[in-house]
Amino acid sequence: MDAPGRSEQDDGPPEPVGAGSDGDLPEAAGRRLGGGSFSSGLTVPDFAACLQMGLRPVGLVQGFCVMQWGWYGSGSPYMRGMTPYAFGGDAPRGAYSESYSCPHGGYVYSNEHRIWGQNYQQPWVESAWAQGFGSAYSRMVEEAGEVGAHGIIGVVDTTRHLADMNVTEFHILGTAVVVEEGAAPPGGTPWTTYLAGQRLAKLIEAGYMPVSVVAALSSVRVWAYCVTEMLMEGTMSRFGGGYMPVSEVEQLSRAHIAARSLAREHIRSQLGNDTLQGALIVANTQSLAQGDEVIECAMRGTRVRRFKDFDPLPAPRPTVRLS
Amino acid sequence: MSERSHSGGGPGATDLRAEMRRAADSLGSPSHDPPSRAVTSDLSVDEGLLLHSIGWEAIDVVFGSSLVSIPPMVWTWGSGEITAASEAHNQAVRSAAKHLGEQCSNARGHGVVGVRVEVEVKRHHVDVELTGTAVRPVGGKDRSSVFVSDLSARDFTLLHNAGWGPIGLAFGASFVYAPRRSMGTTMRQSSQNVELTNFTEAMYAAREAGMEHMQRSALDMGAQGIVAVRVSEGPMWFANHAIGFTAWGTAVRLEAESHQYLRPEVVLPLDDAIVEFEVQSLR
Repeated sequence: MDAPGRSEQDDGPPEPVGAGSDGDLPEAAGRRLGGGSFSSGLTVPDFAACLQMGLRPVGLVQGFCVMQWGWYGSGSPYMRGMTPYAFGGDAPRGAYSESYSCPHGGYVYSNEHRIWGQNYQQPWVESAWAQGFGSAYSRMVEEAGEVGAHGIIGVVDTTRHLADMNVTEFHILGTAVVVEEGAAPPGGTPWTTYLAGQRLAKLIEAGYMPVSVVAALSSVRVWAYCVTEMLMEGTMSRFGGGYMPVSEVEQLSRAHIAARSLAREHIRSQLGNDTLQGALIVANTQSLAQGDEVIECAMRGTRVRRFKDFDPLPAPRPTVRLS
Repeated sequence: MSERSHSGGGPGATDLRAEMRRAADSLGSPSHDPPSRAVTSDLSVDEGLLLHSIGWEAIDVVFGSSLVSIPPMVWTWGSGEITAASEAHNQAVRSAAKHLGEQCSNARGHGVVGVRVEVEVKRHHVDVELTGTAVRPVGGKDRSSVFVSDLSARDFTLLHNAGWGPIGLAFGASFVYAPRRSMGTTMRQSSQNVELTNFTEAMYAAREAGMEHMQRSALDMGAQGIVAVRVSEGPMWFANHAIGFTAWGTAVRLEAESHQYLRPEVVLPLDDAIVEFEVQSLR
């Protein structure tokens, strides 16, 4: 299994990782899964399509994880003037970071003039997210193992804040299936996919087999320097003199691109030699002050592996409906 | 090649059960693809298949972002077009598209399809975010110039089959002040049903200006036309007296010697479109 945030470069069977994979499922889960009838999150068309493919639903499986986000640690927005990269801080090697210096000739207008700024990656946020998602994922896979499933299809995941606290709940669920007359997956760990029904059937026909869902979050913190701050609050003329021109806010443009590119690289590190199908990218920007931002980008999709050559697809024929 | 069966789904239909078993068994083996950089794509399965039908493939998800500042005081009352805001908007789109193209080139793509365009106009800046999938012909060589298109992979395939090719995103924006009437005019018109000509003229001019900017950007790219034009308009949430118009589409050029007629087949579905029982139908 590819728990997000983990790198799997080999092509061998995925291995379970993360907390909660050592048999800590609630007692009720065991009773539900052993209840003698299956439950499924599939729509009726998807259910019918899966039976057509020889996939037999055996149960609705799910996993949860509630994480607290430390707010006053490294990278806290209340630590203005400090950087985790100073004093031999905990920034890991290779993390994204770039600095900006005041171009106003070193002249300090006031103590509030921001003579430097920085964009930097927040690996501690990313790894916490990966831990939360990975733990929920592991628990879902563990439930699937309890019912002897070969795979989990139609996976849906949600991330939401609980109550009015810095607490986030990760919830992931899907329908466990058995491949009729098929062998157990290598290593006994079920494969997983966001797809189901006809879309999954088309993927198989196209020559791809789902390996696992993959997801990653990137987090970039922006501490604006004077130019960014002035451009974002429209006060450039106070310091630069005269009319402020239309101008690109380079620090922020670069931070937004970096956040998205980092998410892509995190995902890529989980793909090995495989392909990410149906990527979904959701970026969220939290503005803390003029130019000060936290940019988070979540990316998810299904890791798929080619198992046969592409069948040449006949050229599509355009049609016009008369109704 | 896939296993075929005559047992279900008609002659030549794929035996999905056998394919599913074969696919699941393959997880213990290395990938069928030669070792290479992992591919990422935000296209659907259908779109991937369609691209393959014309000999193209997805390579990488790519991004372009740009934030451009809007000078202070431009939203205060005035008349005519708010040129600084229009300029900021157009610059942000150009810059984001440039970043997107650079990422596409780095991934050795020939162009970007299915670009998702997100534009946010705020009091002091314009934020443009572009996300799409870089594509290229299978085994294609590196290309110096790449195209950026918000067409879906399906539309790209249709365009390709018709002999046309996308060149880039054509974009135009125009922001105007909603004109004020004099006190006397307002009083005179308060109880009349009359056309507010100053409003009509301002809105008309702004729409035309936005589209003109878009057309000019397409001509600058050497395009012959623009397809899938979309227009959005409305007052700024932070300045209700200012109205923004934006228009965008994909600039295209004929790449074949002449337009290729697709000659679509006419299809008459025989299924009954009525799917719900209505009590009223019994009357």
